[in-house]
Amino acid sequence: MKESTFLNIINPVKDKMYRLALRLLTSREAAEDATQEVILKLWNRKNRIKHYANVEAFAMTVTRNYCLDQLKSKQNNNLRIVHQNYESSNSSLQTEIEVNDEIQWLSRIIAGLPEQQKMIFQLRDIEQYDFEEIAEIMEMKQTAIRVALSRARKAIREQLIKKHNYGIR
Amino acid sequence: MELDKIERLLARYEEGETSLAEEKILRNYFLNNDVPEYLRSYQMIFTYANHQAQEKLRKEPEINPRKNWYAWSSVAAILILALGLFFFNDTSSRLNENDLGTITEEEVALEKARETLAMVSQIMNEGKSDLVYLKEFNKTTNKIIQID
Repeated sequence: MKESTFLNIINPVKDKMYRLALRLLTSREAAEDATQEVILKLWNRKNRIKHYANVEAFAMTVTRNYCLDQLKSKQNNNLRIVHQNYESSNSSLQTEIEVNDEIQWLSRIIAGLPEQQKMIFQLRDIEQYDFEEIAEIMEMKQTAIRVALSRARKAIREQLIKKHNYGIR
Repeated sequence: MELDKIERLLARYEEGETSLAEEKILRNYFLNNDVPEYLRSYQMIFTYANHQAQEKLRKEPEINPRKNWYAWSSVAAILILALGLFFFNDTSSRLNENDLGTITEEEVALEKARETLAMVSQIMNEGKSDLVYLKEFNKTTNKIIQID
C-alpha cells in the first residue's frame, strides 16, 4: 500500500480519532500525540489493514485501546487535572462567551462520567455512528451499548439540571 | 403538534432507543428553534454535541516521522565519540609489558584473583542494600488521593 492511499483512508477518520482521544485524555497535546501514534501503528500494519472489513471502526478501536492504555500508565495520571480551554474561532464575542460557558459545564459533566459511557456518548451523539459500528468499536453487545448510552444521557441531563438549575427556573 | 412529537422522541432518546434519523430530527429542532424553558437542558446537550463535532486535528499526521533520523544521528554521535576516546586514550596510557605477570606462582595468582573478586562482590552488595529505600517512593505515591 502506498503512502497516498493510506492517507486517503485515514484522512476522513483522523478528526474522529482525535476527538475520541481528546474526550478520554482531556489535554489537546496528549490527544494529538495519541492520534499521531495510532496512525503510525496503523501505517506499520498497513499490509493487514486490507483484510479488515471496516477500517474506520478498526482505527477507532485502536485509538480507544491506545488511550485507555495511556490513562492506565502512571506517566499520564496528571493529565486528568489539566484544565480544558475550549476556544471557537468563529461567532461574535458575546455568543462566544455564552457558548463557551455552557460548553465548559458540559465538558466537566461528561468528564465525570465513567470511561465507557463517555466513549459511547462521544461515538453516538457527537460522531453519530450507528449501533452496529459502536458495537464493533467498543467490542460490546448492542444491548449493553443502548443501556450505557441511556445512562450517560440521563446522567448528563440530571447533572445539568441539578448543578445549574436549568429547566426549573 | 410538533412539540408533542419532539417530547415523544426525547423520551425514547433518553432510553437510547432513537434511530440516527430520529436523532437528526431532534438535532435540527434544537439547533434551529427557540425552545420552551423546560427543554433548555436538551438544547444545551445538542448544541454541545454539534460544537464538539467541529473539533479538528490541527497537525497533519506524519507516517514517516523524523524521529527515526534523530535516533540514528544519536547512534552516529555515540559511535564517533566512543571511537575518538578509544584512539586517543590508547596512546596516552599504553600498558607496560613489565607490569604484568609480577606473580609467578599459579597458586598465589589464583588466591589473589579470588580475593579481588570477593571484594568486588562485597562492595556491590553493600551498594545494593542502600537501594531498599527506593521502595518508599512507591508507598508514598499510593497515598496521594486523586480528586476529580
